[in-house]
Amino acid sequence: MTRLQLATCTLLVAACMVGCNNKRSTTTGGGGPGGETPVMSLAWSEYPSWSVFGVAHEKGLLNKDEGAQGELEKKWGVDIVLVQADYDTCLSEYGNSTVDAVCMTNMDSLAPSLGRDSVAIIPTSTSVGADACITVGVDSLEALKDVPTYGLEKSVSQYAFERCLEIEGANPDDYEFKNMDPAVAAQGMQTGDANVKSIMVWNPFVMQTLRDREGAKRMFDSSKIPEEIIDMVVVSKSKLAEPGGEKCACAILDAFYQVNAMLADDAERDDTLKALGEKFSSLGVEDMEVVVKETQMYATPKDGIELFEKTEFKDKTMPMVVDFCSAHDMLDEKPSVGFGDADAQLNFDASYMQKVQEGE
Amino acid sequence: MIRKPIPRLHRIVLGIVGFVILLAGYSWVSHRAHVENPRNKTLPNFSQFQEGWHRIATGEGGIEFWADVTASASRLAIGVGAGVLLAFIIGLAMGCFPVIESLLMPPLAFFAKIPPTAMLAVYFVFFGVTGIKIFIALIAFGIFPTLAQAITQAAQKDVDEHTLYKSYTLGASNFEVVWEVVLKQILPRIIENARLQIGPAMVFLIAAEFALADQGFGYTLRMQSRLQNMNIVYTYLVVLGVFGLVIDWLLILLRRLMCPWFGD
Repeated sequence: MTRLQLATCTLLVAACMVGCNNKRSTTTGGGGPGGETPVMSLAWSEYPSWSVFGVAHEKGLLNKDEGAQGELEKKWGVDIVLVQADYDTCLSEYGNSTVDAVCMTNMDSLAPSLGRDSVAIIPTSTSVGADACITVGVDSLEALKDVPTYGLEKSVSQYAFERCLEIEGANPDDYEFKNMDPAVAAQGMQTGDANVKSIMVWNPFVMQTLRDREGAKRMFDSSKIPEEIIDMVVVSKSKLAEPGGEKCACAILDAFYQVNAMLADDAERDDTLKALGEKFSSLGVEDMEVVVKETQMYATPKDGIELFEKTEFKDKTMPMVVDFCSAHDMLDEKPSVGFGDADAQLNFDASYMQKVQEGE
Repeated sequence: MIRKPIPRLHRIVLGIVGFVILLAGYSWVSHRAHVENPRNKTLPNFSQFQEGWHRIATGEGGIEFWADVTASASRLAIGVGAGVLLAFIIGLAMGCFPVIESLLMPPLAFFAKIPPTAMLAVYFVFFGVTGIKIFIALIAFGIFPTLAQAITQAAQKDVDEHTLYKSYTLGASNFEVVWEVVLKQILPRIIENARLQIGPAMVFLIAAEFALADQGFGYTLRMQSRLQNMNIVYTYLVVLGVFGLVIDWLLILLRRLMCPWFGD
């Protein structure tokens, strides 16, 4: 091989690498019908208050594809791109900046906001019983000390587990929490695996396990800690600052509240619940009634604003969540958390909900 | 002309160039990401990597590197060992005795086509979700069908019929023919095929560890990518690559040692 060939090869490979480096990001926008329509991508995973966005697409409020607009997208003059993925994948996509907005919980928002300034624009729901410790043949907290509890480590499950124990007056250090995917832990218990006597999982696994395993019972659940586990929509600060960013955020919120209005409407409730249930899991309308009770939605802008302005949430819950994450090696440093504070790394901002409220 | 050999020195230089290009490409992408957002964690730069290595070295932040290595390596070793042993016995028996082959080959050929990762849930039902059993079962049964088929084929095709006649004429029993003649000749093929199954075995291991381990490479990769500590994730991936290369090289060495006549 001559020197020339060698050099050509090297150049070719280098050229390929440069060519491959096109990001699949919508931050540049311009994909909309008019060419000028601001675009925002939102990653969501199946969860009662997030499957709402899937339903919004089905009902024609938001069109999930880029370049196509639903009713509300036209109203606000924006293009919302909905990306459905597993929860973990959603987190990575947001962290990678492949999407502009994501559905995630308050505790999982902390780590990404260390790398990307983030704004929580809306709380969608809070877990009031949707995260539960389910046991078979273990009847007391004392007996629970002898068996490991399986659930996803460094997640809301572990948080709810330790917080509930604390509230019961027990010391979480006396209990063993072992890592296992919630779907697998639930399946293990449903199959009757003799080693799986206690699991800490979220819905739909809670409902499924209670239904499918004889003798399974709730030891305790997140109804002891209402408004501590918050499901939300988080948007990157830089995306919001772009022209049209705010309108995109408003369109997302508007869609959320409109689907909730359908849920509140007796005539449409069953139909909407069924649609949510199909998105969420194979649970029927009856089970979904329980699910939405345990995953209490912030159905109106008023409810959402109230939470973001609540002193208890600002001064007690969030600092406690940050401390928990830091103590469990989920953060190398604590991000600054603010409420309506534009400089904070994670900012809980109620102003978008206010805008949607006024717009109505 | 195509396939014209090039000097050894060029080969080495080109190999190094390949890696350098990869590294340079990454550095550039990472640099660009950091210009855009100086706090970017998903495309770590060198100082972020150093910080990650420091965490791994000191075991800070809940990362237990050696525990991960021990856990994953022992699961892989026992799983592959069990799979190879099973494939060796069944494969050899099928290759030598048509009755066994007719009985077992059809179901084996069928199961070889179902990816074990697609039926993880079935494994969880049969082997439980706690303990090491599930990892061993997944790896062993994952690599067994393909490996057994390869060994059967080797026993049938790679051993010349004349050799068999000669052995019988010299008064060898069935067992002696299998053990002394067939096995000796197909041993390098067995090792070679086992080596090729290390890749799939690692896929099964990581898939299982993603779901239900509290130690091991799959566990740490999942946890740390959830927390977006990509400096740890990339480092673990590199270690995983090196890990695979070392096993590969050890098996090649083993083959050369046990079957020097087979050549490279």
